[in-house]
Amino acid sequence: MRSIRTLAAVVFAAGLALLLAACGSSSTSTTGTTASASSALSTGGYKSPLTEPLTGGKRGGSLQVLQEIDFEHLDPGIAYFSVDYAVVFATQRPLYSQKPNSTEPTPDMAEGQPEISNGGKTVTVHIKEGVHFSPPVNREVTSEDVAYAIERGKNPDVANPYIDSYFKSVEGESTATGGPIKGIETPNKHEIVFHLTEAKGQIVADALVLPLSAAVPKSYAEKFDKNKPSNYAEYQVATGPYMLKNDAEGKVLGTGYIPGKSATLVRNPNWNPKTDYRPAYLNEIDIKIGGTSAVLGREVLEGTNTVQNESSVAQPNVRLAAEKFKSQLEISPGGGSHYIGVNNKVGPFKNVDLRKALWAALNRTSLDKLRGGELVTNVATHFIYPTINGFEQAGALKGPSGPQFDFNEHPEGDMAVAEKYMKLGGYPTGKYTGHEVSTIVASTGDPFEQQAEVVQQTLKSLGFPVKLTLVETSTMYAKYCNVPKEEVTICPSVGWIADFADPQTVLDITFNGTTIGSTGNVNWGQTDVPKINAAMAAAENVIGKEARAKAWASIDNEIVEDAAAIPFDWDKQPNIEGSDVNGVGDIWNVGEWDYSYTSLK
Amino acid sequence: MSTAERLPSGLPSGGDALEFLDLGGDVVARSPLQLFWRRFRQDRVALVSLGFIVLLIVVAIAAPLVVSLLGLPGPYVQNINLTDSFGSPLGPSLAHPFGVDQLGEDVMSRVIYGTRVSLEVAIIGTGISTIIGVTVGMLAGFYRGWVDTVLSRFMDIVLSIPILLLGIGLAAACSVHGCVKGLVQPGLVTIIFIICISTWPYVGRIVRGLVLSMREREFVEASRALGASDARIMFREILPNLTAPIIVYASLLIPTNILFEAALSFLGVGIRPPTASWGNMIAQAAPIFNTAWWFMVFPGVALLLTVLAFNLLGDGLQDALNPRQAR
Repeated sequence: MRSIRTLAAVVFAAGLALLLAACGSSSTSTTGTTASASSALSTGGYKSPLTEPLTGGKRGGSLQVLQEIDFEHLDPGIAYFSVDYAVVFATQRPLYSQKPNSTEPTPDMAEGQPEISNGGKTVTVHIKEGVHFSPPVNREVTSEDVAYAIERGKNPDVANPYIDSYFKSVEGESTATGGPIKGIETPNKHEIVFHLTEAKGQIVADALVLPLSAAVPKSYAEKFDKNKPSNYAEYQVATGPYMLKNDAEGKVLGTGYIPGKSATLVRNPNWNPKTDYRPAYLNEIDIKIGGTSAVLGREVLEGTNTVQNESSVAQPNVRLAAEKFKSQLEISPGGGSHYIGVNNKVGPFKNVDLRKALWAALNRTSLDKLRGGELVTNVATHFIYPTINGFEQAGALKGPSGPQFDFNEHPEGDMAVAEKYMKLGGYPTGKYTGHEVSTIVASTGDPFEQQAEVVQQTLKSLGFPVKLTLVETSTMYAKYCNVPKEEVTICPSVGWIADFADPQTVLDITFNGTTIGSTGNVNWGQTDVPKINAAMAAAENVIGKEARAKAWASIDNEIVEDAAAIPFDWDKQPNIEGSDVNGVGDIWNVGEWDYSYTSLK
Repeated sequence: MSTAERLPSGLPSGGDALEFLDLGGDVVARSPLQLFWRRFRQDRVALVSLGFIVLLIVVAIAAPLVVSLLGLPGPYVQNINLTDSFGSPLGPSLAHPFGVDQLGEDVMSRVIYGTRVSLEVAIIGTGISTIIGVTVGMLAGFYRGWVDTVLSRFMDIVLSIPILLLGIGLAAACSVHGCVKGLVQPGLVTIIFIICISTWPYVGRIVRGLVLSMREREFVEASRALGASDARIMFREILPNLTAPIIVYASLLIPTNILFEAALSFLGVGIRPPTASWGNMIAQAAPIFNTAWWFMVFPGVALLLTVLAFNLLGDGLQDALNPRQAR
């Protein structure tokens, strides 16, 4: 699970595979998507990663990047936030990565696609020759470096946040503490094999698109990994086209990265473009950290060789760009989803009909307008969002159809349907007449406060006594919404973004009853429906993109029918750039700028 | 010009003396209240301020009626159709003279209801802190010795509490389930509580100083000689003589408390939405000021005018109640 800190309410999950089939080496490619998917990916005529040319950029120049927030972690074994990924994927090469306009894994450090064999219990990857680490290591990358990169994820002083979600089926992973993992084998310098205890080869293969699989030289990094916590990030070496500027000893901290102030990416002298698919046009990327998003945005729009790198560009600046600087605005679909967590286990909404009543009454269009309107949102009608495999099969934009989904038909809210479900739920007047107070815990700040007010008013209109509390986002998650014993009724500021485009990453950890924990719980509604749990257990072992899409879309429909949570927004990420920048965002990392494709005019 | 105004400056005046008016040979005594009013009404600025404050109080009490008479929607009526395609609120119009906010709520209606919060905090908070401050200050000043030492040090300790951090801490710790078995909950009561904690020692110190000098005056000695109890001396002899400075200080404390509430609400630890407060309205308006100036300007102006009115009234009261210290 990873969260976009500035969006603050979005949390990332896990998964694989892809929808867009945009694996061409250049320009656009929504090839293979249907009309409704294309519609979901529409950006209203504004620039989009799907329409930006990936070739033909001008080489050279220095890009200035302004971002309000600092990085969380730049160690490829720990990094999990979207702003961190923007740097990590420019400096590191995992086994697989994604082009800006695609969610399809493209072999990066790997020579070709992963081989899944032995009934889904073995995954084999061949590694490219001729890829070298940056100074001061300089030597060629081997499969042992990839194995160490993954193994160190289990080191408590590295503590990779997602390794247990995707690599748990690797033999010996669950008991590993940073040393060799029995199920990871390196028969030779350019081959790595994963032996699994269950037939989960597909999810393991797809998870190799995450930065955990970016090679780390053991002999060099081991001494840093012995520190508590590991400080390898301060001395990290690169395999990608860029590296964080370092000194002769390889020290990055204070040179290429000054916390809270700046980061400087320079060309990796050992990068061989023949081994890589990225063009890497720029010579240098200077990232300035700090300031206020709204101010930075104006500076960028009125500047030249500058981009703003934020997970959430200030709404007034989006509007300003859309009206006056149209060519400097890029909209990226696939920014994740937001939904309202509704407690299925305690309180009035353990009654499924009352959940449906709330869903029906809620004006989801209002909630989306508070996020910036149609330009940056689509009204969500289910949970698998655009760019994720299974979106089409789950109902695409319109959502699942049938009389049982009538509560989902009117995004602007339908009180008649709401009253119908209130009556079905045991309240003959169509209004709640119980005395249980519904507690809403929401994030402070724009637009979460206002969205919480919309939810509050909707609940009141249905007769529910309500208590609204606003707290800092981190507090909302850590102290309330992620802690079942707090018995919060409604968490309206939560959301989800997949780590990669497999639907399991969207639905499993968030709606599987077996994942509910006493802390850090992201199954916010504590949904625990045996039928859904069983369907998920079966779907986890399904091999093949189409088959997985079908299996998980069916589960998505079941979750909607259970009204386990109320989706209201599929995000589109706005990005703004200076007048002489050919910025290229992505569709797989919340629309962050891809520094390996961005160029100056 | 009246005879009284021609009196030599050496003659007694103020709350402990009478002035005399020549009305065709009859000399009529004026009460201190009459004298106060006579002086106060000559301060036009203070009078206008008083009028404005009275108007505010009326508006606060009759907010639902005022909103209804003006034909405005209620302060919690959301209408997302009053925002544009970017979700930006629409500006002032005949139907919504102060425009609307992001939820399409009428800003004028919310400013009117926000008056209630500001005045409640100001008047109740100031009242309670004044009562506590006067009581503690009188005890410290009257008894002196160890009582004075203990109470004065206690006031010093209270004054050193970082009130803003206390407010933020209480808001974070007690926001969902409350603290002290639900007794402390974020909201109006807690804000008033915090304001009382932070302001009573200021009143207490002033009162202590005044009582220290007053307890040596002849009229106190006389009461003591007549066998009056300590309580009687404090509350029947000394307290009436403190009325003027207390009123003046309280009137100046009110705008401070209004601003304090606004600041806490602005920081998100005071009055929480959807309850309308000028502070939280300004906070919500800040991110969209470039596209919706009205959302910040109108509550801001209301706050400014209210604070200004109380300050000017305070000055006027000071001049009228204590003419020897007049500007």
